[in-house]
Amino acid sequence: MSSTDVADRILRRGWRARREIITPEGVPLVVELAEYSERAIALAIDLVLWLCASLALLAVLLFFAVHGMSGVVLIAVLMLIAFFLRNLYFIHFELSHHGATPGKRIVGIRVTDRRGGPLKASAVIARNLTRELEVFIPAGILISVPAGSASGIQWGYVLVVGWLVCFVALMFMNRDRMRAGDVIAGTMVIALPRRHLLADLVEARAHFAFADRHLRAYGTRELQVLEDLLRRADAGEAPELLRDVCDRICRKIGWTQPVAPADTALFLRDFYTAQRAFLEREQLFGRARADKFEAARKRE
Amino acid sequence: MSIEVEIGHEVSRPTGLRPVITLKSSEFRRTREQGWLELEGLIAAAERRGIRALAPDALARLPQLYRSALSSLSVARAIALDRQLLLYLENLSLRAYLAIYSPRTGLGEAGLHFLRAFPAAVRQARWHCLISFLAFAVGVIAGFALTAGDEGWFATLVPAGLAGGRGAASSREALLNGEIFAPWPGAAVSIGIVANFLFSHNTIVGILAFSLGLAVGVPTLVLIAYQGVILGAFLALHYDRGLTVDFVAWIAIHGVTEISAILLCGAAGLVVAQKILFPDRYSRMDSLATHGRQAAEIAVGAILMLFVAAILEGGLRQLVASTPWRFAIAAATGIGWLAYLGLMRAAERER
Repeated sequence: MSSTDVADRILRRGWRARREIITPEGVPLVVELAEYSERAIALAIDLVLWLCASLALLAVLLFFAVHGMSGVVLIAVLMLIAFFLRNLYFIHFELSHHGATPGKRIVGIRVTDRRGGPLKASAVIARNLTRELEVFIPAGILISVPAGSASGIQWGYVLVVGWLVCFVALMFMNRDRMRAGDVIAGTMVIALPRRHLLADLVEARAHFAFADRHLRAYGTRELQVLEDLLRRADAGEAPELLRDVCDRICRKIGWTQPVAPADTALFLRDFYTAQRAFLEREQLFGRARADKFEAARKRE
Repeated sequence: MSIEVEIGHEVSRPTGLRPVITLKSSEFRRTREQGWLELEGLIAAAERRGIRALAPDALARLPQLYRSALSSLSVARAIALDRQLLLYLENLSLRAYLAIYSPRTGLGEAGLHFLRAFPAAVRQARWHCLISFLAFAVGVIAGFALTAGDEGWFATLVPAGLAGGRGAASSREALLNGEIFAPWPGAAVSIGIVANFLFSHNTIVGILAFSLGLAVGVPTLVLIAYQGVILGAFLALHYDRGLTVDFVAWIAIHGVTEISAILLCGAAGLVVAQKILFPDRYSRMDSLATHGRQAAEIAVGAILMLFVAAILEGGLRQLVASTPWRFAIAAATGIGWLAYLGLMRAAERER
C-alpha cells in the first residue's frame, strides 16, 4: 500500500475498514467501506422520500378516480405504486448520479464496483431489484397477510421473519459488508469524504540550517505526525504542545542552540522542511525509513 | 534531489544568510497543481448536476485530467512524503474514477438495455431452462397419475388455499360454472388481482425458486416440481369430469406466461446454484458476482412476466368466456414470448 499508511494508525485511528481496488488503468486506490450506520441512515432518508412520493401519487389517484374501490384493493394499488416508484427511484438515481441516491449523497457514500471496474447499469439494476427479494416483498407479505388464527399462517410468519433475519445477517457476516444484492451485482458501498488541497508546509527560505546528522533520528511516521501537528497549529490549536514537541526534537537530534519561544513554530517548520527533504532524498536512493526505529537501525 | 544546503553547517542563523531548500516533491506539486484543481472543479460539477451537464470540451478534458491525476498519484507515492498531498491525490483520483466509470445511461436507456439483456440472459441459460422445465413436467405427470387414480390425493397434494373449495367432491357443473366459466367478478376484483401480483402465490414461488438457488439448487428443483404436481392434480380432477380441454384453455390464457415465468425463475436459481457449485477458475464470490447479474436479469424479467400474467388473469380470463378464444390468446402470448426471448438477438445485432 501507499506510504500514506505509515502514520495512519496514529493520525486517523483507522476507524473505517479499508479495501484496495485497482482501476482499469492499473493504479491501486484505497477505498473506505461505508459504515453500517451510514448505510442505514441513507436508506432511511431514501425511504422517507419514497414514501412521501407514493402517498402523493395515491392522493392524486384518489382525487381523480375510482370511488368504488374497497379498502383491500386500495392497499393493493398503493403497494403496486410503491413497488414501481421505489425501484425507479433507486435505479434512476444510482444510474444518473454516480451510484448515489439522494440519501447516499447526503450521507456521503457511493456504490462502486467491487474490483475497480466500471459500474455497469446491469449491476445497478441487479443490486436494487434484489433489495425487493431481501426486504420489501417479505415485509409486504408480513403486512398484507392478515394475522390469521390458523397455525399455518403462524408458520408463514416464522418463515418470512427468518428470511428477513437471514438477509440482514448476511451483511454482517462478510468482510466487505455486502448485502445479497451487492454479492450478486459485484458491488460494494464505500464512503467518500471530500478532501481539499491544503497549502504545502515547506519553507523555501530556511532560518535554521540542519545538517544530515540532525536528520537521521526520525522516519516518515514522525514526519507525518509533525505535519499533522503543524497543520493543527496553523489552525490555532495547541500552542504549548508546539513548545513541548520542539524541546523533545532538540533533545533527540542533539540541537544545542537555544530556540527562542517566539521562534518555536519557525523552528519546527524549518525542521519539517529539512527532515522531509532528507527523507525524500533517502527514499529516492532506496533507503526509505518508515519510522524512528528503522531510522535508528539504518544509522548503525 | 537538489538541496542547496551547506552540509555540515550546524549553526543556526535566524537572520542573515538563508539557505534555499528546493524539494522535488514541492516542485512536482507546483507544476501539477493547476491540473488537479481543474479536475476537482469538473468532478464537483459532475457530482452536482450529473456528468451529462458538463460542456463538451470539459467532457473531453476529463479523461486526460483523470489519467494525469492517476500518474501524479503514482509519482507522489514514490517521491513525496507530504501526507496531506497523498491523501488528497488519492481522494481526487477515486472521485474522478467514480465520475468516469459510473454508468452514463439514464433510466430509459437502462430500460431498453434491459429489454435486450433479458432475452440474451435467458438464451444463455437455455439448459437451465430445460432442466427447470423437465422438473416441472415430471411434477405434472406425477400429480396427474396420482390424482387420476385416486382423487383422495388431491386434498393431499394441493394446499387448501390454492384448492379454493375444489376437490374430489366437486361436481362437473360446479367446476364448469363456478370456475371455468364463472362470471366476471367486476373491475374492483380484477384491479385487486393485478395490483396484488407481488404477493400472489406465483410471485412468491418464483422468488423462492430463484433465491433457493443459493442453497445449491435442490430446493429450487423440488419447488418447481411441486408446482407441476399441483397443476397435474388439477388437471386430473378436470380430466375425470371430462373438462380437460376447457380447463387447459382456462389455465393457458394466463398460464403460458405465468408458468414460463416460474420456470425462468427456477432457471435463474439453477444458474446461481451452478456458479456456486462450480466456480471454475474464480473464487465462489467472484463467480457469483460475474454471473449473478445474468441470473438476476432472468429473475427480474420473470417477475415482470408475472405482472403481465396477472393482467391476463385479472382482466381477460373471465371476460373471454370461450374456450377457442382462450386458446387463441394463449397461443398468441406463447408465440409472442418465444419470439421475444428467441429473436431479440437479431435486433441487438442490427444496432
